[in-house]
Amino acid sequence: MKVSLSWLKDYIPIKMDAEDLAEALTMAGLEVEAVSDRYNYLDTVVVGRVVEVNPHPNANKLKLCSVDIGGQTIPVVCGAPNTKKDMLAPCALPGTCFPNGIILEQSNIRGEVSKGMLCSPVELGLGISGSGIMELKQNLAVGDKLHHALGLSDTVFEIDLTPNRPDCLSIIGTAREIAAFQKTKVSYPEINVSEPLAEPLAESPDTAGDISNFSSVTIIDPDLCPRYSARLVFDIKIEPSPFWLQDRLVSVGLKPINNIVDITNFVMMETGQPLHAFDFDRLAENRIVVRAAEEGEQFTTLDQKERILSTGMLLICDGEKPVALAGVMGGMNSEIEDSTTRILLESAYFDPICIRKTSKKTGLATDASHRFERGTDLGGTVKALNRAVQLISEICGGKIIHGIIDEYPKPAPERIITLSVDASNRRLGTSLSQDEIEQYLKSIEFAVEKIDDDKLRVVPPSFRVDINRFEDLTEEIARLYGYNNIETTFPLIPAEARPPSKKIELRNRIKQLMTCLGFTEAINYSFINKLSCDRLELKADDPKRLMMDVLNPISEDQATMRISLIPGLLETMQYNISVQNRNLKLFEIGNVFFHTGQKDSLPDEVEILSGLWTGARVDAYWGSKEISCDFYDLKGAVEELLRNLGIINTTFTAIEPDACCYTKPGYSARIIVDDSLIGLLGEIHPLVLRNYDLKQKAYVFELDFDKLIGIVPDIKLAKPIPKFPATSRDITLIVDKDIEAMNILKMVEILNENLVENLHLFDVYEGSPIPAGKKSISLRITYRSAFETLEDEMINSLHKDITGRLIKEFDAILPA
Amino acid sequence: MDKTIEQIKEDALKELEAASGPESIKALSVCYLGRKGLVTQFLRSISSLPQEKRADAGKKANEVKKLLDTAFKKALKQLEAESAVSDDRIDVSLPGRVVKRGSLHPITQITQEICDIFSRLGFDIAEGPEVETDYYNFEALNIPKNHPARDMQDTFYISKNIVLRTHTSPTQPRIMEKRKPPLRVIAPGKVYRCDSDLTHTPMFQQVEGFLVDKKSSFGDLKGILTTFIHKIFDDQTRLRFRPSFFPFTEPSAEIDIGCVMCRGKGCRVCSQTGWLEIIGAGMVHPALFENVGYDTKLYTGFAFGMGIERIAMLKYGIDDIRKFYENDLRFLKQF
Ligand SMILES: [Zn+2]
Repeated sequence: MKVSLSWLKDYIPIKMDAEDLAEALTMAGLEVEAVSDRYNYLDTVVVGRVVEVNPHPNANKLKLCSVDIGGQTIPVVCGAPNTKKDMLAPCALPGTCFPNGIILEQSNIRGEVSKGMLCSPVELGLGISGSGIMELKQNLAVGDKLHHALGLSDTVFEIDLTPNRPDCLSIIGTAREIAAFQKTKVSYPEINVSEPLAEPLAESPDTAGDISNFSSVTIIDPDLCPRYSARLVFDIKIEPSPFWLQDRLVSVGLKPINNIVDITNFVMMETGQPLHAFDFDRLAENRIVVRAAEEGEQFTTLDQKERILSTGMLLICDGEKPVALAGVMGGMNSEIEDSTTRILLESAYFDPICIRKTSKKTGLATDASHRFERGTDLGGTVKALNRAVQLISEICGGKIIHGIIDEYPKPAPERIITLSVDASNRRLGTSLSQDEIEQYLKSIEFAVEKIDDDKLRVVPPSFRVDINRFEDLTEEIARLYGYNNIETTFPLIPAEARPPSKKIELRNRIKQLMTCLGFTEAINYSFINKLSCDRLELKADDPKRLMMDVLNPISEDQATMRISLIPGLLETMQYNISVQNRNLKLFEIGNVFFHTGQKDSLPDEVEILSGLWTGARVDAYWGSKEISCDFYDLKGAVEELLRNLGIINTTFTAIEPDACCYTKPGYSARIIVDDSLIGLLGEIHPLVLRNYDLKQKAYVFELDFDKLIGIVPDIKLAKPIPKFPATSRDITLIVDKDIEAMNILKMVEILNENLVENLHLFDVYEGSPIPAGKKSISLRITYRSAFETLEDEMINSLHKDITGRLIKEFDAILPA
Repeated sequence: MDKTIEQIKEDALKELEAASGPESIKALSVCYLGRKGLVTQFLRSISSLPQEKRADAGKKANEVKKLLDTAFKKALKQLEAESAVSDDRIDVSLPGRVVKRGSLHPITQITQEICDIFSRLGFDIAEGPEVETDYYNFEALNIPKNHPARDMQDTFYISKNIVLRTHTSPTQPRIMEKRKPPLRVIAPGKVYRCDSDLTHTPMFQQVEGFLVDKKSSFGDLKGILTTFIHKIFDDQTRLRFRPSFFPFTEPSAEIDIGCVMCRGKGCRVCSQTGWLEIIGAGMVHPALFENVGYDTKLYTGFAFGMGIERIAMLKYGIDDIRKFYENDLRFLKQF
């Protein structure tokens, strides 16, 4: 909301400068977002002296002037009849933005260059009359900026109000806050409505008599409309408003329309009470009925749009039909027109929830609905109405009909709050006296009475709709005392060790380990494109395809909750390659979201650790070319990670083709710990790469973090360092190509768990002289006993035994 | 048998000093200690001495033998070591072979830093779901349906009653329902709002914090947050508390810090105000306690929440929040 200093000063003397006032308002809870001078647009308008006036060679009505703008003289084409030599006039220079929104540019008018514009008061927003150039006094300095020369200055504060303070959505509301911290009083406008007599007068029978003779208001839905006040004014003339009124509205960013509309807007800005004026003669039966809308009912609002209404919305109707969408916008059919002479002025209180729903559903947010949905002053409808009527009679010369209609079927319940001074001080950490608190609350117009030494009986004013309980009062006290004056203290906290949960501790450890393994952490959005399942080549019946879609996504790429971290990592890869970061080792830990299949229920949130490696294993350097990474690089990283976490029984088994659609068949493995599946590792399927526009191979892994938590051992036990020496023997076997090396290693372990200390697979070879379909596998077996030094003979026999068993088990042969 | 053993020793040491290479030292060794060497011969000649002098001469000769042996070996080792150093040179200016460590995302680093500070202040770390019910995200926090306060946060909906949490505040009722006071908890996590520009991303991260006890005041809230700000920035950082509005706190406060970019002089980052809004906070609203079944007469508490990106942006001098989620390696590697 915009508040101008000049308008504020109508109600309260302000001694501090604009910056200090802005700061004070902010510290009172009315955050000032911007402070500006509303005449800043005149920065490029200067006092000019017309030094020469010549006829325009190509246009009868135009003149070609030379204007001294201080230090230089510019050509200006001008059409105003009152332009004459030696006159001083405002000259706008190119770049000036006029109040009507037009930006002045250097132009060529019928073959003549015009480097400026001599302006009228209307064009400059400084008046409303005359088509001629604004003539300035001769004592002004040529070249001076116009606002400086004329002393035009008015600070405008842009206030960002929190939704709990609708009472400040007005100039007087703001003035009340200033009054509290300035310790001065608000001078409310004096309202004197000169009412004609209720008795009929012979000379003006049309306007005599009480309002009840002319009209009535019927409230059918008092829950939605607890109060409706109205007055009639006859014999008015619709005209533009006087300049002062237009200027007031312009100062806070409102557009003047006509005198009646301007007055209703003026009073809304002044008091916070929205008003609406109906053309009385367009109201069927000259009366008002307030009722809820019916489902599907149609109504055309002022903006000429046909609205389809629903139950829960509130309508203002006349004797036959709706004439306004209550609290939001009037209707076309009762709008004030230039010919209007009799008006009914509405000042009502509407249920905030009703107005908010209506505004949301229709997409209509107006200055009125903004105030009604936050809560207007239930006790203030009549005052605002009288203020408006007073202004109408002053400005539009209308005749006010005697009496007010004030239907008030649901008076506000009285709000009496008991405040304990001690409890307030404890909550705030202050030591204020009862008197101090009383004074603070009274300064913002709360009614306060002492109950006893500790307690106060407090009744907030009707416009403070946000004050309902004791705690609300403590905020007022704290605000007025000053948050920054409250002493900084410390809570008493027992000396307890609070270690993080295993989950958080483990997550931090994993992140640390991954960085040590050379991976950089990425954080991708939790939402992905709905096409991600297709891009991952998931099967049509994959249960993961049932996703948590966002009803109102920002973009297609963020339309559903992710079911895997892989799409995000692939997109990150794509982005990085597009900016020439070709070698990537990335990881991410985050939640994926699985639909439970039940409507309107929370998803299963599962935390996943994923990694991606693409490009180089070893970057190119002066001693070697770049070496590309492969499956075993990423597998090694995963093995090292798990080993560091203390997980020892990890196995990787081949995935049958089709079991994982986004990794390449034959190049994918399950990660299994103690018979439970904890993740996958593999090369990204070429089709998936293509779907993501990627041309280089990528390897990924996924680990179920929640499962990891369950298997990471809590304790580490040290093993004794061996006392006796180890001996190793090598063995090379030629086996079928399809035999998994891991099976051979496992078999060795099974054959002699006690004496086989370590197995090292040091060579795998295919090709000549090994026969086709075969491969050679070379192992180094380390033998050691915990109890003795093993004799060569014993090892030889053991080794021979193991070799024999392997040959038999795997149908192997020894190399020639 | 002319020279005394002392003379032999002197001569040997002199010659050793003059010796120029390992070969001459080895030759010297043979010359003195070899089978026909001078010391060896001297030792043999002892038997020809009178009985009473033998023991003494033998002892002396053996000492010399030992001494020379050590001296020769030491000199030899010294020379060998010296000879291993040649005139060969490597180009020490060539870059070393790359060993790359990855890096933690800056948001992770700041989150951990925040959690560490609060852990030291005695707070537990907790977490909550990212997809939330309307109840926990709004209703339990005293934000009823159709309340203008809902406009303060543009919400992503999954269905009528399921939302992407717009703040970490739902962790408050969730934890309070499960545990009894005293509570001291912080809860970091991802949150979501329909907003995207230089200072907003549709997903961002917050840290929620709250303390519930029999005696806690607005002054205590100021104390905890002042300590936090001084730790996360520096203890010269100025703070100010000003009134604000959150439906789940009363009184509510916004905490500004003196702009860390311009030190309060006014710059683009602080919109020339010299202040930066950094934390929303307040005393827990009694409605929240009523919703979780705490006795509002017995317990008071305070709560606060802050955006992690905002703090990271200020600490690292980043002006575009979207950088955090582009995951450009050239960006991530800087942290
Ligand atoms: Zn700054």
